[in-house]
Amino acid sequence: MKRLCLSVTFAVLSAAASAQEPGDAIRPITLLTQPQAAAPQEYQAAEVIADAWRKLGLTVNVRPLPGQQFNQVIWYERQRWDATTWQMVGRPERSDPDELTYNLFVSANAANGYDFVGYKNAEYDKLAQEQREELDLDKRKALIMQAQELINHDQPYGFEVHPFNVVAYNKTIWDPKSMISQAGIGIRSTWTWLNITPLGTQKDVILNSVAPPTNLNPFNISGQQGSWAAEIVWDRLMRVDPEGLPKPWAAEKVERPDATTVNVTLRKGMKWSDGQPVTIEDAVFSLVAPGYGDKAPMYKPFVGNIAGVEATGPDTLTIKLKKPDAAFLVSSLSKLNLAPKHVWQPIFDDLKNKPQTAESIMEEHPVSSGPFRIIKASLNQEIVLEANPDHWSHPKIHRWIMRIMPNVEASMGALKSGELNFLADYTGDPELLKDLAKSSPNIEVSQALDIGFKFIAYNERRPPFDNLAFRQAISAVIDRKLLAEDAWGGAAEPANSWISPALGVWHAKGIVDRVPGGNVAAAQKILKDAGFVLVGNVLHYPKGEKETTEPFH
Amino acid sequence: MLWAVATLTFLLFRLMPGDPTLNFLSPTFTDETRTALLKSFGLDKPLWQQYLIYLGQLLRGDFGRSFLQQAPVADVLLAALPNTVILTLVSLCIAYAFGIIAGAFLAFRRGALVEATAIPAALATRAAPEFWLGMLVLALFAFQLGWFPTGGAVSPGGSLGSLGTRLTSADFWWHLCLPALTLTLFLQGLPLLLMRATMLEVMNDEFIVMARMKGLSRWSIVMRHAARNALLPVVTAFALGLGASIGGNVVIETVFAWPGIGRVLVQAVQGADYPVAQGAFIMIAFVLVIMNTVADLAYAWLDPRVSVGAHR
Repeated sequence: MKRLCLSVTFAVLSAAASAQEPGDAIRPITLLTQPQAAAPQEYQAAEVIADAWRKLGLTVNVRPLPGQQFNQVIWYERQRWDATTWQMVGRPERSDPDELTYNLFVSANAANGYDFVGYKNAEYDKLAQEQREELDLDKRKALIMQAQELINHDQPYGFEVHPFNVVAYNKTIWDPKSMISQAGIGIRSTWTWLNITPLGTQKDVILNSVAPPTNLNPFNISGQQGSWAAEIVWDRLMRVDPEGLPKPWAAEKVERPDATTVNVTLRKGMKWSDGQPVTIEDAVFSLVAPGYGDKAPMYKPFVGNIAGVEATGPDTLTIKLKKPDAAFLVSSLSKLNLAPKHVWQPIFDDLKNKPQTAESIMEEHPVSSGPFRIIKASLNQEIVLEANPDHWSHPKIHRWIMRIMPNVEASMGALKSGELNFLADYTGDPELLKDLAKSSPNIEVSQALDIGFKFIAYNERRPPFDNLAFRQAISAVIDRKLLAEDAWGGAAEPANSWISPALGVWHAKGIVDRVPGGNVAAAQKILKDAGFVLVGNVLHYPKGEKETTEPFH
Repeated sequence: MLWAVATLTFLLFRLMPGDPTLNFLSPTFTDETRTALLKSFGLDKPLWQQYLIYLGQLLRGDFGRSFLQQAPVADVLLAALPNTVILTLVSLCIAYAFGIIAGAFLAFRRGALVEATAIPAALATRAAPEFWLGMLVLALFAFQLGWFPTGGAVSPGGSLGSLGTRLTSADFWWHLCLPALTLTLFLQGLPLLLMRATMLEVMNDEFIVMARMKGLSRWSIVMRHAARNALLPVVTAFALGLGASIGGNVVIETVFAWPGIGRVLVQAVQGADYPVAQGAFIMIAFVLVIMNTVADLAYAWLDPRVSVGAHR
């Protein structure tokens, strides 16, 4: 009996001793970010988070990399880095959660796709595929909620914040009641450009853009600022409405008789800017052209699930899908521009034996059917659009002029002096803009929660980021409220999901409270329970684990 | 020389990390998309093939097509070049006219209070960062006083038109004022200090002593005799300054959204638009070579002691 007691005592003591026995010390961790001058908020957030991680016994180096090198390392050298700041920006088509739900975390996208952190979870893959194929809204919502809870548990990202879009306009020129805020986008939306109403004789909206668009044609995704113009120049069969739901636009009616069939009835009486009617052949062409070989690579993914498109009458067409796709109306029909077949079919034919793609074509006189027409596209200086008086939803303004102004401070001054009457692209300190509004009573500032989000990506290909407890711990010490207040100057909300609270239908309410933000004690407990050991002030792997990964250089 | 610049810029941009497809990263961006884009840019070929194609194009006077703007590089550069040339010429002429007169005057008034005040002021504007100087000018003349526009080359919705239209457009000149003022402030220090230093040197020469002995007035000695001889290095500096400023207005063009070569270059480097960046550097090198030659010839023409190709 005595011998048994001694054995048990020895075993317990050995177990306790071995639980405290450390593995190798964790190497210095490099947290990549952009230079402070290029992305001050992200840089400051990286510094705050690095400080929090140091409290856990980690050696953390914040390393800013210039834009091109930053993207190159994160995207094409996936075995090399530890953790990085990153962001997803808000776009109308992201009003449906599918694009991000599927592309960011499904393991099939880990090798070369957008699951650049290398997150793999078969349970998540199943949920993401099921929500994609589920056409019943309530059932799909439940699947999306489950997916968010799973990601909250696995913490492949350290979510930081959902930023606000901050814009300003001259309220003595534009009727504030005519501004239409789109969920997750704010008042800098297509719906505002269609509805904005002048109060006096000034009928030109003059807005700014920090960066120039790359091109304007119906087969080119022209960056964020270029897309503001493209969305109002080219019609689409559907549009995402202010509530974030797909709504027939150039289509009079869209029906889904079964999971893989979409019937579209085209709106009657539409015209191209060269006077020709918009026909059902044009609509069919617009849906199949991006799939022609590799001549429209940017838009090709949006037609990847289309098995065939057929005109079934003078105003009707039927789309057959390869697989059920719940987000098709948003991700494809609200994204693909209507392009005139009589203009673009000869261009595609001509491109067959050339290296160029359709994206590279710059028409001298672009032909479109949308509420605005391009009358000047001087990409480095300004884009001038003119209202299309024949459009069935014609705007109330005369011209829409986007000035390319790389200097944000100058843009703010231009709003004050009256050279601009809509500050659409503001990347500076929101407080400065609010101060300007206080001193200039004619200026109104508007902010809206963005669909996008900012986060720290953990590279799960590299230990210790492949360890669930480690990820949970380093996420637990991120003080999201502090980041929102200090780094983003109050113009952001704490985040713990890729689905913004701006998308109320899809966002898991309360998920941000399910990660203990800024809680060092909770994080230390998670690490201790998982066998990580603090020796002095240096965090070590659990017993027996060797550090075999090279630090980032 | 131009071959060396062409080769260096070709290698420089390809040695930089990243490629133009990185500008299009998004969740829908696939490997297939990237391959198609690289192919359309001609970047799917081995480096030596790209180099040979590039040299062949250059020999034919073809700079290639811009990846970002999807237009011939020559068109992109030629659209921006006149704006930069006008900005540079106007600023240089004002800066050098002012610098020469002020430099001569300060030499004339050596040791006076005006010299003690003007020299530090000239040095300060010369040493101040162009961005800071530009922001000060903007804050005062555009934001506070509202006398001039904050940026661009024409009013919203206006058209730049041909070179002739630009030169006769009041709107264009109105937009030119602040960037030209900033560049002038930045440039005037060199001719001012150079002129003053050379004048002080010339004032001790024997022919000036002779002029004094003849009983000529001080003004006549300074302006007719000393200043003429002191102008030589300033003329050289003007020609070199013109060459350097064609490619060196990057900061001012960015602050004032002036649609010139500097802005084109910045966008090309940021967006890995190799053909435009290469074309811009070759054009800048070409202008520098030409202006160096012009400076040498002007020097020989102005100073008979210097001769071209003759041995005496």
